[in-house]
Amino acid sequence: MDPRGKIIATFLFIFVIFLANNWQSYLIVTFFTLLSIYFTKLKVKMFWDGVKPLLGLILFTSLLQLFFAPSGKIYWQWWIFSISTMGTVNAIYIFLRFSLIILISTVMTLTTMPLEIAAAFEWIMSPLKIFKVPVAEISLIMSIALRFVPTLFDQTVKIMNAQRARGADFSSGNLIQRIKAIVPLLVPLFINSLEVAIDLATAMESRGYRSSEGRTRYRTLAWSKYDLYNLGFFMTLTILLMVFRRY
Amino acid sequence: MKKYFFKLNLSQLVFLGLVIAIKIILGRFSVGPELVKVGLGFIGSVALGYFFGPIWGAVGGGVSDLVSSALFGNQGGFFIGFTLTAMLGPMIYGFFFYEQPRKIWRIVVATVTVTFLVNILLNTIWLHLLYKVNFQVAFNARILKNLIVPWLQMIIIYFVLDGLSRVKTRMNKLEKSRM
Repeated sequence: MDPRGKIIATFLFIFVIFLANNWQSYLIVTFFTLLSIYFTKLKVKMFWDGVKPLLGLILFTSLLQLFFAPSGKIYWQWWIFSISTMGTVNAIYIFLRFSLIILISTVMTLTTMPLEIAAAFEWIMSPLKIFKVPVAEISLIMSIALRFVPTLFDQTVKIMNAQRARGADFSSGNLIQRIKAIVPLLVPLFINSLEVAIDLATAMESRGYRSSEGRTRYRTLAWSKYDLYNLGFFMTLTILLMVFRRY
Repeated sequence: MKKYFFKLNLSQLVFLGLVIAIKIILGRFSVGPELVKVGLGFIGSVALGYFFGPIWGAVGGGVSDLVSSALFGNQGGFFIGFTLTAMLGPMIYGFFFYEQPRKIWRIVVATVTVTFLVNILLNTIWLHLLYKVNFQVAFNARILKNLIVPWLQMIIIYFVLDGLSRVKTRMNKLEKSRM
């Protein structure tokens, strides 16, 4: 499937989920999300890994909603805590909304290569050219950043080990000492990337790079029939939500 | 305002890409005791603002959000609001640090502005919009953490700016030799 279609769908999903405001509409959104998870044919564990780091935040937010925003009939009260009908329902809705948005985002990132996502972002940004935003430059920056995250990550680990070998300590001492220990890590990292930048720029210029304008593309994106299915799927969801929501 | 709008040459453009990569990597690290863990991503924001000024810094912040969500998936769902806040941080740091001497008051004011405007106010508004969380409740929950973290950030920025100024001298020297 075309990454542009997927990103736009993910993006719109967040707006569409606002339409849900009663249990029927939440049921529909949940069903559609589970369906799209099923269609990815990926293991459930991978999605669980996507939700896991945020589970604490999700639970925390829902619990806050549960205890501190009373409305409707009150079941139980103690000091400033109270559990009410509407509070409980809202907490469940927030929990669902959170999990569904994260799940759909996970579907997108798990099924799309980072390079494709970057290309799609470039396409989505292209209308900004009207406002003289240097979209071509930005997409060059984006692809360089994407390409160099793994390389610089290796560098960082290497620099850390090199400093450790000479007695640097990143994980003990008081707070100020630890903070000071970051600088000998950062400076080589920046100097290193500065040198990489100069070298890369020289190499690009010697291979005939003049500016980001007036160039052809080697990697192109193409719409396929699956994007139509995706769109149809999405339209159905939107219409169903419009029908079932409480106005 | 004029001095912030400039064209980057190719090596600066590439360096911007690399600083974004550094910001993303630093964002995966954190220091401090378990209770008040401080992510290091803000160092990347400071570097973006310091090297490239508010405008290109904001561009860098936006790109770093997009790239990190492409690489690692977006924590908390894909939402343009978080991209905006990612742009605002480097922008504010850029206004305070770009081609300015390192002064304690600049560090304090910049950090407090970023903390209040970005971390507390805007991010709470996004959470409120996204998840219909009760604004007051989420706001109070956020303030607690953001009462401690900025002080650590200020100390870190103080030392980091010193390091970055050394990088900047090197940058100007290399730029000249390349001309």
